[in-house]
Amino acid sequence: MATQIVMDRTGDTRHTFDAQDHAELEKAERRFKELTGAGFTAAVRSGPGEQRVIRAFDPAAEETLFYPRLVGG
Amino acid sequence: MTQQILLAICSFAMALVGTLLLSALSLVVARSGSRSRTYRYEIEARALTLLKEWLSPRQRTSYERYRYFDVVGSDTGTRYRIHHGTQTNIEELSGTGQHVCKWCFVPDGDLVAGDVMLAQKIALETNERGALSVAHRSFVAMGPRRF
Repeated sequence: MATQIVMDRTGDTRHTFDAQDHAELEKAERRFKELTGAGFTAAVRSGPGEQRVIRAFDPAAEETLFYPRLVGG
Repeated sequence: MTQQILLAICSFAMALVGTLLLSALSLVVARSGSRSRTYRYEIEARALTLLKEWLSPRQRTSYERYRYFDVVGSDTGTRYRIHHGTQTNIEELSGTGQHVCKWCFVPDGDLVAGDVMLAQKIALETNERGALSVAHRSFVAMGPRRF
């Protein structure tokens, strides 16, 4: 099962989906587009303590993290 | 005389009911506050677990020991120290490890410390210039730093 983790006021909200299931994969891709369209940054882990930002949906990613747009504090 | 006794009894009864209602209200408020604190604690704990999962072993060890960890900027190679916190918690370090200045940028929304620090780490390690372009920079006198 793959997971999309979206940071929010509750800490995070997790959406799990079966990457082998076409319908679930489509839903996950739609969520990816909605979130990144709303200013979220998507990142996947590429090694221990390492990550890369992705601009397009990666169906092979086991875990994708989304954090909101950055603002000056 | 009978009227006075009745009035006294009524006053006593009303005072008693008022006291009971106030006590019940206080209890509800106290329980609600306690539940809210517990909920906040759970959110913070979950965010810290997520943060630790994304830290390198070295960063995790540093965070658990000192409540800060270092990251290297993706564009300039500059070292930053991310302290536990949600505001002005990023310290830029010189090549010799000396304090240079503080930076403040956060993910939009009321996020807890673990989430804020994780977003800061990813941003600095993958898009340092982009992150600093929205950040506020502050120069403070040397000495004990509070974050």
